[in-house]
Amino acid sequence: MKKESTNKIKVGIFVSLGITIFVLGIYFIGERQQLFSSTFRVSGIFKDVAGLQVGNNVRLSGVNVGTIDKIAIVSDTSVSVEILIEESTRKFIKKDAVASIGSEGLMGSKTLIINPGTGGKEIIEHNDIILTSQPLSIDDIFVSLKSTLDNATDITNDLAKITGNIESGEGTIGRLLMDNSMAAAIDSSIVNLSEGTKGLKNLIDDAKVSFEQIDMKEILLSLKTTMDNVSDVTNDLSNITGDIKSGNGIIGKMLSDSVSAQNLESAMLNLKESTYEIKLLVRKAKDSWLLWGF
Amino acid sequence: MKKITLPKLQNENLDEEIVKDSVFKKFFLEVYSLTIFTLHFFREVFKPPYEFNELMKQTFLIGYKSFPLVIITGFIIGLVLTIQSRPTLANFGAESWLPAMVAVSIIREIGPVITSLIFAGKVGSGIGAELASMNVTQQIDAMQVSDTNPFKYLVVTRVVAATFMLPVLVVFADMVGLLGSFVGVNLKGDVSLHLFFAQIFQSLDFNDLFPAFIKTFFFGFAIGLIGSYKGYYSNKGTEGVGKAANSSVVFASLMVFIIDMIAVQITSLYQN
Repeated sequence: MKKESTNKIKVGIFVSLGITIFVLGIYFIGERQQLFSSTFRVSGIFKDVAGLQVGNNVRLSGVNVGTIDKIAIVSDTSVSVEILIEESTRKFIKKDAVASIGSEGLMGSKTLIINPGTGGKEIIEHNDIILTSQPLSIDDIFVSLKSTLDNATDITNDLAKITGNIESGEGTIGRLLMDNSMAAAIDSSIVNLSEGTKGLKNLIDDAKVSFEQIDMKEILLSLKTTMDNVSDVTNDLSNITGDIKSGNGIIGKMLSDSVSAQNLESAMLNLKESTYEIKLLVRKAKDSWLLWGF
Repeated sequence: MKKITLPKLQNENLDEEIVKDSVFKKFFLEVYSLTIFTLHFFREVFKPPYEFNELMKQTFLIGYKSFPLVIITGFIIGLVLTIQSRPTLANFGAESWLPAMVAVSIIREIGPVITSLIFAGKVGSGIGAELASMNVTQQIDAMQVSDTNPFKYLVVTRVVAATFMLPVLVVFADMVGLLGSFVGVNLKGDVSLHLFFAQIFQSLDFNDLFPAFIKTFFFGFAIGLIGSYKGYYSNKGTEGVGKAANSSVVFASLMVFIIDMIAVQITSLYQN
């Protein structure tokens, strides 16, 4: 009898322990899905959810704070995603928070990433509609990658052409690198330059010596006299140009007085006509028999 | 006194026919006989009086006594599965997925199926051999004569005990299997127990836990029922005892896989 009751106790402990483990398993799995914690619900409208599924994690600053509760197609261009988020994190999510769809690693399942929004804004409310940004799909990446690759192909083709030209000695760089005659010319130029600079150096040295031998005072005096003369000449020139500008004198009148200029022009015409007539007269006189023999 | 003779008499008649008939016909006669036996079980299980003391005794023998075997098996399976999976995951640098992958494998499939097969080997054969020897020594007939319902006393208690004990054993096997996996992960790595279980519960879902748990009731029921059926309707003679024990294990193991296949189909239908 005693053994029988001991066996019953053993069975009781065995079953209780089994049930406890099972319940703990349910609790820990349920906790991940926010079944036993206070949550709030928000929804977002996406054009394309890129394979997001019910039960996928929701992340705020890289921390799992919720799960996807429901996904439904609203229209041909919009999919509604309902999100359950832990109530304790609501204070960090503002009205202008943006939800985007990302991946848990390269091969991982999809996840919803919430950007918490700007600090000063109001906190998001229960049943609010959160702003969304369209996920970057693998197809988009491939399209972008293709155009990048096309560009890279063009660039490498151009580079191949350029290196080909350089190798065949075409163009300035090609000739510079591949043409021996140019290299020799440059070499000789450098030698000439070197010799030239050497000569210049000698000249400067000679000049230094001569300079030391010259009486600087005498030169400076002579220079001063010259400068004074130059100053006088420039002053005179300044006066002359001033007169010309103001229309004084013949040249001034010619340049600034239009009547004088016209008079001068007509005088010049008269002179031209007179000289022509004198020329004709002289020719006739030459042809006249009265002046034969002259 | 109510005599429960129908299934036994029917089966005795069938046995004589089975010898003469083809394999094809034998199979369907066996299916028919098992169906009658199952229906009889459901008729008896809800009908008082209930054999509580015998039920408790059977839960002790079937459940508690199988505990060490299941625990050892579960631990080894968890350990081996982890060690064997590591190189494949290491090939593409996904060793950190090891706890999650092993957990899903153990909880969904390996834990329930391996435990059920061990259970079928230990309990199914035990029930088959016990009832067959009782049948051979005419104890079942004696019980019938002495106003005890042998079906209720012998079959119902064992089937109910097996149905409810296997899920408990599977829970233990799963837990110990995960601990074995933890040891396996730490043989060539360094993962804390906290991180290990955090990764496991991160990867698990109710869709992993509940279908796997529910199907173990069916596994237990099938093992108990087939063991009882094979023992209850064994051939006379000592040869019949061995045959009953053997066919109990074979048929129960086969049924475990068939039920598992159906359960997986139903689960995948529900999940998709």
